[in-house]
Amino acid sequence: MTETEATTEESWLVRYGREHVPHLLVIAFLALYPGLYTLAVGLSLPAPLGWVPDLLYAVLPRVDTMIVVLYFGLFAMSFDFVSGYTGYLSFGHAVFFGTGAYTVVLAANGLLPFVPSGTPFLLLLVLAGLLAVALAFAIGAVSFRLSGVYFAMITLGVSQVVYVFVRDWDYVGPNPKDGISVSFDLHPGAFEIGVPFVDALGLGIGKLTGDTLAIAGLELSTVEVSYYCIGLVVLVCYFAMQRVIHSPFGKVMLAIRENEERARAVGYDTYRYKLVAFAVSAFFAAVAGGLFAGYSRAVSPDETFFFLVTGDALLVSIIGGFGTLAGPLFGTWFDELLREFLSKEGTGGGLLPFLQEYLPQSVLDAVILNGMTVGEAVDTFLNGHASLYLGLLFVLFVLFVPNGLLGTVRERAGGRVSKRVAARLRSRGGTETARGTASEDD
Amino acid sequence: MSALFAASVGALPLQLAELFTFDALSSVLFDALSKAAVYAMLAMGLTLIFGLMGVLNFAHGSLTMLGAYLGGLVMVVLVTGATGPWTRLAFFFVGLVVVFGLLSALGATLEVGLIRPLYDRPPIYQILLTFGITLVIDELVRIVVLFYGLQPITEWQEALGTKPYFLGQQLVLGPVSVGGMDLFEMLLGAATVAAVWAFLTRTRYGLVVRAGSEDAEMTEALGIDVRRVFTTVFALGVGLAGVAGMLLMWDNNWGASVPLATETLLPAFVVVIIGGLGTFRGTVVAAVIVGFADALAQWLFVNSVVDFPPLPQLTVFLILVVMLVIRPQGLFGRAEVGGH
Repeated sequence: MTETEATTEESWLVRYGREHVPHLLVIAFLALYPGLYTLAVGLSLPAPLGWVPDLLYAVLPRVDTMIVVLYFGLFAMSFDFVSGYTGYLSFGHAVFFGTGAYTVVLAANGLLPFVPSGTPFLLLLVLAGLLAVALAFAIGAVSFRLSGVYFAMITLGVSQVVYVFVRDWDYVGPNPKDGISVSFDLHPGAFEIGVPFVDALGLGIGKLTGDTLAIAGLELSTVEVSYYCIGLVVLVCYFAMQRVIHSPFGKVMLAIRENEERARAVGYDTYRYKLVAFAVSAFFAAVAGGLFAGYSRAVSPDETFFFLVTGDALLVSIIGGFGTLAGPLFGTWFDELLREFLSKEGTGGGLLPFLQEYLPQSVLDAVILNGMTVGEAVDTFLNGHASLYLGLLFVLFVLFVPNGLLGTVRERAGGRVSKRVAARLRSRGGTETARGTASEDD
Repeated sequence: MSALFAASVGALPLQLAELFTFDALSSVLFDALSKAAVYAMLAMGLTLIFGLMGVLNFAHGSLTMLGAYLGGLVMVVLVTGATGPWTRLAFFFVGLVVVFGLLSALGATLEVGLIRPLYDRPPIYQILLTFGITLVIDELVRIVVLFYGLQPITEWQEALGTKPYFLGQQLVLGPVSVGGMDLFEMLLGAATVAAVWAFLTRTRYGLVVRAGSEDAEMTEALGIDVRRVFTTVFALGVGLAGVAGMLLMWDNNWGASVPLATETLLPAFVVVIIGGLGTFRGTVVAAVIVGFADALAQWLFVNSVVDFPPLPQLTVFLILVVMLVIRPQGLFGRAEVGGH
């Protein structure tokens, strides 16, 4: 934005608010989501539209699932932070997610040396982050000597070493293959998000152990309280990462992605920049893992350290927008939405219960081929197989929409969404500044 | 404390000394060679494809798994209870041809349809695409397998049951005895390595492939349709993955199952990286190294010299990490390989 700012009389707050309109809208949507969900599902519409609430119930993710969206979205963002912005595909990123998750559970079980079982959750998150940073420096020091495919493979290899190790390490618990959970004897209370050491200023998270809250006539369940608390941490982390990306440091990250040799020729010690970017992203990946462990109170190697966890982050990053920070969050949202919609159990509504209610039984029982009915076909080919459709979608995105959802919107709008919206608002507000430099790109 | 330490150190050589008996050495040797053969077969296709095209095929494990199921299907259809062991062996080779043919065709289709549009993009996109193919293949196989009432997580017992009886036995050859399946794996692995080696060094087409690996642009400038060579090699690599899968279908340690995809993909990566991405010789040497390390670790664990269950698996990945620290480009790799 080099043009003369005609808006000097405006307070910085107005300007700041305007530049963050999309942010505010997304945050407002997420903040209102539990209420909107209850409202939409409970809606009763007159006869011709009676199916709408049921469809919404089938399609919209439950608040419980939205919590997964939040913490896994944070993990995907941290993955994209290094992979999408520096161009180094961190295929072993799950190792940091696992580090965070295991740090929290081990510390709560009193198995981490020098860390008492009652350590406040937020401190544990920071500790987990710092451990991940140390690990990232160790891994990065070796792997950033190489680039491209080799980098992806080294990080993958290291994460697999840790995965195999943790899977069979009986120090963590009696049956390490199946994972470990937080012991109710050692750590009976919920993990609290709030001011450390002040019980009154913290709210417990967790489906069973968390706190409920009643403010202003609203009753918030444990899930909803967890949703807001975890959402708050994710929000802080998002803005922290966004700050880094928009700093001069972030510009160097982009320079490395676009042309590393040139960045080096200009005089940047790219090795050091890559290492720090890797460490920063590891920190937030570990926080995401810690949030996951704090909410579910149980972790297993297969859902933390396994390389397919990284694969999931990759998938949602591509769908949401590789090289955009918020994109992976939207990608995760879409991913979880589809998985829940096509889930086998049909919890939280799903395709099959909806069809059973609205299609006449004769249609469901109609035979398509070789005695297979429509209902059976749905059960065989759709339910529980969301991975197939996500995989197909992923392939299509790689081929035809390499920028992902948010990246494509950004391309169409001609710049970052927040910048474009701000410029549009300003020009409509009557001030004479032209629209922002459209070529502004990052 | 020091007494304990001395005791444990003192006990160690005693147990270790057992390794240097003829029986132990021969069993470790055969175990290592059969493992090396399997690793080589798993990794060969991967390395051929990367060497020529610079594409790291993430779907390799899934294609191996597909080969295992297809091979199992052929065997289950052909073999009945009355089929004699040698006929079963003959059917196996029929199946091998069928699987190789089908998967090569699939590979060619994938290359032409999906991977070709991505050559101009950064190499990361090829990883992404093949990763997506993995998701699709795995889930499709899971649907089909579930549909026919098979358990996707555990091995396909019916296919394992088509194995001729002598492959499940210990064969005594003079002073040594070797597992029938181990011997079969060694022979088939050696034959496959020899065949690919002969193809690369003794045929005109192999010459073109090697030239393409060396410098694709120059090869093209000399009037060779490198694109078509890419398709052929991709088909060949995928076919080899299928052949390896068919072999594993009979192996009690692996067996046809959906998780076979990741179980084979990771060791294949390890072998290929240790050998140096894209060098055929390096891959074979690395397979032997990894096979020996794996077998030795297995022996140490089974004979309770070391009481740490993940040791064999960990060893494989630890070799990888050590290798990458010492010589990141791999044994025979060049630093610039695959830089298309």
